[in-house]
Amino acid sequence: MSGDYDHDYHTPEPWGPHDWGHGAPHNSFSPIFLSIGIAIFLFAMAEAWSYGTYNPGNIPMILLGLLVIGFALFIWWRQDLSFDGHYEPLATGVPFRGVQIRKVGVWVFLMSEMMVFTSLFSTYMRYRLGIENCGTVFDRGMFDPATNPTGWQEGVAVTCFEPASHLIASSWWHLAPGAINTFALILSSFTIVQALRYAKMPDLDDEARRKKVYRYLGATWFLACLFLTLKMIEWFIGFYVPEISAIGLHEHDIISLVDEGYTINADHYQHHSYVDEATGAHMVANIQVSASLFYVTTGTHGAHVAGGIIGLSYMTFKAWKGLYTPNNAVSIEYFGLYWHFVDLVWVLVFPFFYLY
Amino acid sequence: MEKKTLITRSMVVLILISIAMVVSPAVNSLPNGIGYEQVKSGGCNCHNGVADTGVVVALDGLPEQYNVSETYELTISFTGGPSTDGAANLGGFNLWASGGEITPVDATVQSRDSSEVTHTEAGNDYRSWTVEWTAPSHGRNVDFVLHVNSVNGDGVQGPEDKWNRLSITVAGSLGAALDPADPFTVLATLIIISGILLVITILYGFYRTNPDAFDWEHLAPWITEWLTSTDHKKIGTLYFVQGMFFLGIGGILAMMIRLQLAGPEMGFISQDQYNQFFTLHGTTMIFLAAMPLIAGFANWIVPLQIGAPDLAMPRLNALSFWLQPFAALLIFTGVFSGEGADTGWTGYAPYIVTAGAHTGVTMWVAGQIMLVASSTLTGINFLTTMAVMRAEGMGWMQMPLFTWSILVANLMLFLSIPAFGVGLIQVYLDRTISTAFYDISAGGDPLLWSHLFWYFGHPEVYVVIVPAFGVISEVLATSARRSIFGYRSMVYALAGIGILSFIVYGHHMLTSGMSPTLRFVTMMTTMLVAVPTGIKIFNWLKTMHGGSLVYRTHTLWALGFIVTFTLGGISGMFFPSIAMDTHLHETYFVVAHFHYVLVGGTVFGFFAAIYYWYPKMTGRMLDEKLGTLHFLTAFVTYNGIFWPMHRLGVVGMPRRTHTYFITTEDFTNLPEWAADWNLFISVSAFLFFFSNFILVANMLLSLVRGDKAPADPWGGWSFEWMTSSPPPTPSFDWHNLPVLKDANEHIANEPGRVGKWFSRLMVPEDHEEVSH
Amino acid sequence: MGLITPLYDDLWNEYLVWSALVGLFTFGWLYHHSFFYRSEDGQNPNVDDLKVGVFPAHYDNMKLEITWTVVPFILIVYLTFISWAPLDNIWSAANEEDGFFGDECVVGESSNLIFNQSEGLYEADCYHEIGISGKQWVWSFDCYDLDADICDTGFAQIEGRDSPLISLKAGEAYLAIMTSEDVTHAPWFVSLGIKEDTQPGQVTTQWVLADEVEDFLLLCTEYCGDDHAYMIAGVNVHA
Repeated sequence: MSGDYDHDYHTPEPWGPHDWGHGAPHNSFSPIFLSIGIAIFLFAMAEAWSYGTYNPGNIPMILLGLLVIGFALFIWWRQDLSFDGHYEPLATGVPFRGVQIRKVGVWVFLMSEMMVFTSLFSTYMRYRLGIENCGTVFDRGMFDPATNPTGWQEGVAVTCFEPASHLIASSWWHLAPGAINTFALILSSFTIVQALRYAKMPDLDDEARRKKVYRYLGATWFLACLFLTLKMIEWFIGFYVPEISAIGLHEHDIISLVDEGYTINADHYQHHSYVDEATGAHMVANIQVSASLFYVTTGTHGAHVAGGIIGLSYMTFKAWKGLYTPNNAVSIEYFGLYWHFVDLVWVLVFPFFYLY
Repeated sequence: MEKKTLITRSMVVLILISIAMVVSPAVNSLPNGIGYEQVKSGGCNCHNGVADTGVVVALDGLPEQYNVSETYELTISFTGGPSTDGAANLGGFNLWASGGEITPVDATVQSRDSSEVTHTEAGNDYRSWTVEWTAPSHGRNVDFVLHVNSVNGDGVQGPEDKWNRLSITVAGSLGAALDPADPFTVLATLIIISGILLVITILYGFYRTNPDAFDWEHLAPWITEWLTSTDHKKIGTLYFVQGMFFLGIGGILAMMIRLQLAGPEMGFISQDQYNQFFTLHGTTMIFLAAMPLIAGFANWIVPLQIGAPDLAMPRLNALSFWLQPFAALLIFTGVFSGEGADTGWTGYAPYIVTAGAHTGVTMWVAGQIMLVASSTLTGINFLTTMAVMRAEGMGWMQMPLFTWSILVANLMLFLSIPAFGVGLIQVYLDRTISTAFYDISAGGDPLLWSHLFWYFGHPEVYVVIVPAFGVISEVLATSARRSIFGYRSMVYALAGIGILSFIVYGHHMLTSGMSPTLRFVTMMTTMLVAVPTGIKIFNWLKTMHGGSLVYRTHTLWALGFIVTFTLGGISGMFFPSIAMDTHLHETYFVVAHFHYVLVGGTVFGFFAAIYYWYPKMTGRMLDEKLGTLHFLTAFVTYNGIFWPMHRLGVVGMPRRTHTYFITTEDFTNLPEWAADWNLFISVSAFLFFFSNFILVANMLLSLVRGDKAPADPWGGWSFEWMTSSPPPTPSFDWHNLPVLKDANEHIANEPGRVGKWFSRLMVPEDHEEVSH
Repeated sequence: MGLITPLYDDLWNEYLVWSALVGLFTFGWLYHHSFFYRSEDGQNPNVDDLKVGVFPAHYDNMKLEITWTVVPFILIVYLTFISWAPLDNIWSAANEEDGFFGDECVVGESSNLIFNQSEGLYEADCYHEIGISGKQWVWSFDCYDLDADICDTGFAQIEGRDSPLISLKAGEAYLAIMTSEDVTHAPWFVSLGIKEDTQPGQVTTQWVLADEVEDFLLLCTEYCGDDHAYMIAGVNVHA
């Protein structure tokens, strides 16, 4: 039931692969390499950028850091690849008795993840409620000493809050990447559950299971990649909108957020609608705080998706090798819990940052 | 004489007199004498730009090598130059010595200070002068610098006056004086020496494991085992070694700070260095010393106490540990480049994101991000372990109190630290890719950082103290040979502290300009903290009642803890009272308070833990005599450091400042005695620092030749005393886990109502389908 | 014990008394038990029969535990209560009916600041506004349009450094309007026992109640960078 915890201490193999028949790995080089990699990476990133100025020459260091991190993950997975569910410790303490220990661990982890996004959202609330909206400033009209002393002046940057949704929700086409992403993530939550379902199905023959599981995991992987790709398009690239005048769909080509000037150091941002009708004067705004919030919050979510992709790549590989069985299918569930959480966060991020 | 010529000459004389009047304060060889500070670099520059070799200067009466404290009569004389007999003035001099005391013998010479003499107005009429020099007592070489000028006697300085310089070094018995050391060099040297000592200790530890196999063949796998191990006991030891190492480093930093503060306006370390040292002292002590020490004991003891073979996720546990030393490297990166973080451990925005803060701040933030990751993983691991791996018979309300305290601490930690992590990432991005979270000109809010930081920071200080509560509960009950008084109220008090910790953090911001409503609410909630803390203290005291207190070193530390922690708790009650906090905030009263709870609380608690569990960890008993000596010296000197700080804070000594100001005639600030107390504190600090080496020596000596420890040397009841000392690996057999009996005829095997509901939620419906 | 201001001193003395009582009680108890209940030589009676692997018999007493929950609670309620009153002074509203310092003074009007012994609070007829601004690493004071007698700025030599100086008049109440040009600072009027952060981009206020003739230092108590320790100013309260 709860595996054979045979603890005659065999020769430790810190580089993997691991013989799970003897219990969890007693030795692993992965943690120390992972730590070294993270330290090198953070160090090199701090050297490479200073207040937005890029100091060239640090790319090798950054790559080295990523390489060491990748190497550490490789060791971790090399040890893990042979995991066949033979060893899966179950809880002994009430009230979790009989539940897989690692599943409880994932739930606890998600609790702290929730605090990460809560902190980001409280930052968002502080600035969204505390800084005047750019639209409100614009609506007050142009400065006039006699009639409108609180108005804006041409050429003088106003510090105000400009939500990204003002650009994104201004047209259906602009909203399209975000909307597709929402469906992609929801769909991927479905595919990961399907993968789990087929992996767990006891009366399936091995080849059929292998195909089902790796296809569904692959689909999840694909949807996650689609999500990040669309995000890159939305942030940096923009896209071409074909003219379908018959159904009146053509507006104009969609320019990326960055090209619209919505960048984290935009202290002279001009939205195309902030033009005074009478004089043609443009209101310019210092929107660094709003843009930082948008990019960092959605970016943190994006980083979670990217982390998921890294995990999914390994899982798809393992599934392709046909190594998922009903015995160890529960590890797909662990990932699924995390993936549902990432999905749920998006469901919150999307309205707050893309619609409202 | 033609009228025109007369007028011209009169004009020239007038202009000369005017110039003379303007420069007269600087004129040498005139009544005021020659001031050394001006002439040191430029010579008697008002007389002429460069020294003139025509003036021959002599300083007679100096010995080849002086005898300490002996008095010599020195004669200063010169020949040459424009000085002519019969003129109004002949010349002047200035004599400076790097050591000893120079005193005038007659009215021709005046003293500027003990190291410097010059001539008087009367002395202007001589070509030689006599002074007395009392040699210093230190025996180092003494430098003399003598300036003499020879004037033509017209009373007006000008290019015709000449001067010359003479430098003489008189040997002392001890040779040349030492250059003052650069504090950074001192710190780096001490860190490196500590590191080398650590390596030697580790190698010696290896040597002791098997003296016959002290070679690389055996060392390599031994090192590999330590680098890769996922065993909770080995990782606990690693944490422990790291914590002790950084306790030493943090102590060295504290000693540098105390040297600087030993007297008012000292110059031992520059202000820039001081700022980095107190930042690193705080960061090191909290994140790199206290937290690893706690994590070390938690790793060692928690699985043993709940009857688990290991932690729930051993490999993640190894990752938690290894993130720490490399984070420490990042945090200390700045020290070796002289550009360390200088923000204080709180790193208040917007200073932390300004370019004025050192570049090392980015590295400090990067290191902290890694520590946040480490703490999060630790929290997950321990919460999971305690939730799911308790032995049969051990319900929540049968967990030993140390385990409970770790549970509460980790719950606080991992629910609060993400806020800090997010704040750090914001700062990291602000400093690197120029986001604008704390850019004031773009509308950033400095208070946002304070909120994010203290939302974490206050639970954090409880995270550090709560495990010490657990230790004291174990130690005191076992020593008194009783079960702890009010086990249940102890648990509820711990939980209460845990909950309160999240709603009191605003008391760090009582003078921040935060809204008065919030401040008022915080004042009330903060006062509430006294209630659960009081319950704990009274329960400990009551535990001793009717007991039979066995005095061991850990008992002494536990009693000492109650004294110091109660004092720290009482001083803590002064802060939430806002009318007093406006005065006490950011003063040495605060420093005294938190050192009473963090050193007198956490560190003393963990000293008790060391003496209590060391036999379990190593299988060797610690030396009780050395232990008692350690307690006595450390306890006395510790109070000598921090007790006077209360008073210093109240009379007006602010924290985090490079110096302090003693009342002068013009302004009131610290009274005179504040300087004496600061010196007293510094001396006590050094004694405290060195007294802890008794502990280190005790641990090392006992490791080698201590008595063999039995399984249960103190007579405790929890599972760790069931295992051998040191325990085997895995700590308990998976097939044969221990079962907790209960003297209360209470059966906790079946979950309660909430527990049943919860297990239905957790266990999937199709659980039975899956065959394992 | 006259320390700072009556607002502070009354609380301080009251707290000291309670601290001493709590300390005496706790330490008396601790010392009694640690000597009275120590084990004699060679004796190890294991009072509660602790055994390895057995959760020990409960040792508790509901009444006692409730007592030392409730009694400290009552004490802190009392301490909170006495801490409450000075808040009215510290956060007194400006220009409002319920403020303790009235409206802003008109030119030539004096505050007549007095300490009302029975209420334990300061009262004044009106107040003057002064400006304090922090900048790395120097304070700047602004007297706005006040008479030089009421408020004056200047420079003073403090510990060999040219430091800003503000001259206030004893018996006047001032409302300091504070801000910062760069990072967070906090002016601490040491002899008045008050401090409040100055935040960049925000305005904070504090009441400066010049009650006694004294020359004292104003120190910065929020770490602000390199020269933080010497970010000082002189405060001259004259008659």
